[in-house]
Amino acid sequence: MSKQAYMRVENIEKKFGPFIALGGVDLSVYPGEVHALLGDNGAGKSTLIKILSGVHQPSSGSIYIEGAKREFRNPRDAAAAGIGTVYQDLAINQLMSVTRNFFMGRELTSRFGSLRMDEMNQIAHDEMLKIGIDFSDPTQAVGTMSGGQRQTLAIARAIYFGAKVLILDEPTSALGQKQQMEVLKTIKRVRARGDIAIIFITHNEIHSRLIADRYTFLALGKVIGSGTKAELEGEDIRRLMAGGAEIKDLEQELSAI
Amino acid sequence: MSERSESDRLQREGWLQRMLRRPEIGSFIVMVLIITALAIASEGKAFNALGLKNNIAIISQLGIIAVGAALLMIAGEFDLSIGPMIAFAGMSIAVMMKWGLPFGLGEATPFLAFLITLAMTLAFGWIIGNIVVRSGLSSFIVTLAFWFFLRGLTEVCFRLINQNTNVSGLPDFKKESWFAEQMGGEVFGWLFDAWYWIGTKVSAGLEFTGDMTKSEKLDLINYLSFLNINRKMEQWVTGFDARLFWFILIAGVAWYVLARTQLGSWIYATGDNKESARANGVPVNRVKIGLFMFSAFCATIFATCQVFDTNSSDAAKGMFKELEAIAIAVVGGILMTGGFGSIVGVIFGAVTFGLVANAVFFIPWIDGAWFRVFVGTVLLAAVFANERIRKRITGGI
Ligand SMILES: Nc1ncnc2c1ncn2[C@@H]1O[C@H](COP(=O)(O)OP(=O)(O)OP(=O)(O)O)[C@@H](O)[C@H]1O
Ligand SMILES: [Mg+2]
Repeated sequence: MSKQAYMRVENIEKKFGPFIALGGVDLSVYPGEVHALLGDNGAGKSTLIKILSGVHQPSSGSIYIEGAKREFRNPRDAAAAGIGTVYQDLAINQLMSVTRNFFMGRELTSRFGSLRMDEMNQIAHDEMLKIGIDFSDPTQAVGTMSGGQRQTLAIARAIYFGAKVLILDEPTSALGQKQQMEVLKTIKRVRARGDIAIIFITHNEIHSRLIADRYTFLALGKVIGSGTKAELEGEDIRRLMAGGAEIKDLEQELSAI
Repeated sequence: MSERSESDRLQREGWLQRMLRRPEIGSFIVMVLIITALAIASEGKAFNALGLKNNIAIISQLGIIAVGAALLMIAGEFDLSIGPMIAFAGMSIAVMMKWGLPFGLGEATPFLAFLITLAMTLAFGWIIGNIVVRSGLSSFIVTLAFWFFLRGLTEVCFRLINQNTNVSGLPDFKKESWFAEQMGGEVFGWLFDAWYWIGTKVSAGLEFTGDMTKSEKLDLINYLSFLNINRKMEQWVTGFDARLFWFILIAGVAWYVLARTQLGSWIYATGDNKESARANGVPVNRVKIGLFMFSAFCATIFATCQVFDTNSSDAAKGMFKELEAIAIAVVGGILMTGGFGSIVGVIFGAVTFGLVANAVFFIPWIDGAWFRVFVGTVLLAAVFANERIRKRITGGI
């Protein structure tokens, strides 16, 4: 353990009324690594990252950024601490241009509130080029972009605005094969920069194997396994993804129907 | 192997193609058709000096409220309270001008009456906005409630204070009050003066051209009077209604804000996808509340111009104006679902509507009710056209 974790969370609990969505979760993320967060539907993955990005407040537990304890009361706090979240729905506005989306809520303005449009166009273009797509006309509406390109836009935006932890909630789930690969390539390019920690949520075992350095498995709101790629053996991953059930048991159950 | 990149897939478009793809193109074409048809059917009368003045008065009037309605629609909300807000503001100003300031604070000046009224209408806008963003209810229903509330309140106030549902025969404040003149008076008189000057020069020049017969000259002068370059044969017109100034100002500011400022981006973002805008730090609620207040502001300007123009007001003022404002916005290319549209389109829409509403004065054989038939037809066509644009942008076609 030579590297220092950029962000560490300890014993995070989240209750929605009587329902325990998260029952004490630990997680550490390191710069230049992809941390895959895996688990069945309803395991609590989205709830966890909403806490990390300040949308929900945990019922108990602590978040540490570079060793210092922090509290995120709202998404702004989290963003200021370097948490950049790309939500499942991407938080993108289809009818607006690439540039306006890129700078949404953080527009560059001159003294009288007018937009520095040329500069913004240039930055949007350059930043997207850095992680893989050359979009010649950033004044085009996002609605005309492919799903993979939109993902890239959302990622480029998060990085440009200072994300040190990039959280991707199922970035490949709604995409076709080729576009999934595009997104994985984008994630790899971000990883290669070395200064950004990536949390990658997915249901796809193959995708996680392709790019993850470290894994955490959630089931029913608890961590049922975690470790680096080397620590976890292949068979293990599949078992943990199924929520800890043995594949043999599943096979038996299926054949009994 | 040659590398193909994403940018190669986007074809370079020519100037004309770009223009044809603009969302305002539909409303522009309709406007040009209407202008042409009206010029022919009225034998030019619609666009002589007096015709222009009358047409521009109603265009500006409709345009002022349509801009307010349009910004709000871009942010994803409706305001059905525009008409009653006009009646309320008109009542408030007229009553104060007749009976003095509330609580026996003495005589009202036009400006003071306007300010107090504006404070009230902005407060109503603020309340409507807050109810909409806090309750999450559809603005359609909330502003419908305010439609009844304000219409009723206006009439009640009229009867309580003035024992009548109107105030009429106020003195003409334009003479003594600069403010009243700015609202209800005339502007751009120099335009008509310049026009007249050109007319006299041209007709004077004609006197000296020898190679034309007398009757040819007369024909030409007649023809020029159709354009009214020489106003000798027409009614003397000294300027446009002051509304034109307010329309230009409000539309200009709205255009600049939408196209060039951060606030403009926030308005689009709010109407397009509220949740994603919020996630990116756009103060969605404040944007909406502010736009409800802006819509109330536009209605108040409308009413103030009306009161100081006619020196009267009554409880039925602003009838159907909310529907006309929304219709103009839609015809101008504003999406019913929000997030898209431009002020230029709204201006085209206002011109079209104003001309058609006024057409009956210039074409005597036409039945005025055709106006509504026309509005209905164009509105439906516009909704279809807008839907096509939305699908094109979001990748549906
Ligand atoms: N706001 C809420 N109120 C009540 N219960 C909630 C709320 N948000 C989530 N839950 C519950 O918490 C559990 C975890 O949900 P979560 O969205 O975190 O799952 P997930 O692991 O992201 O699943 P998926 O893979 O389907 O995205 C679910 O049972 C869900 O119903
Ligand atoms: Mg989820």
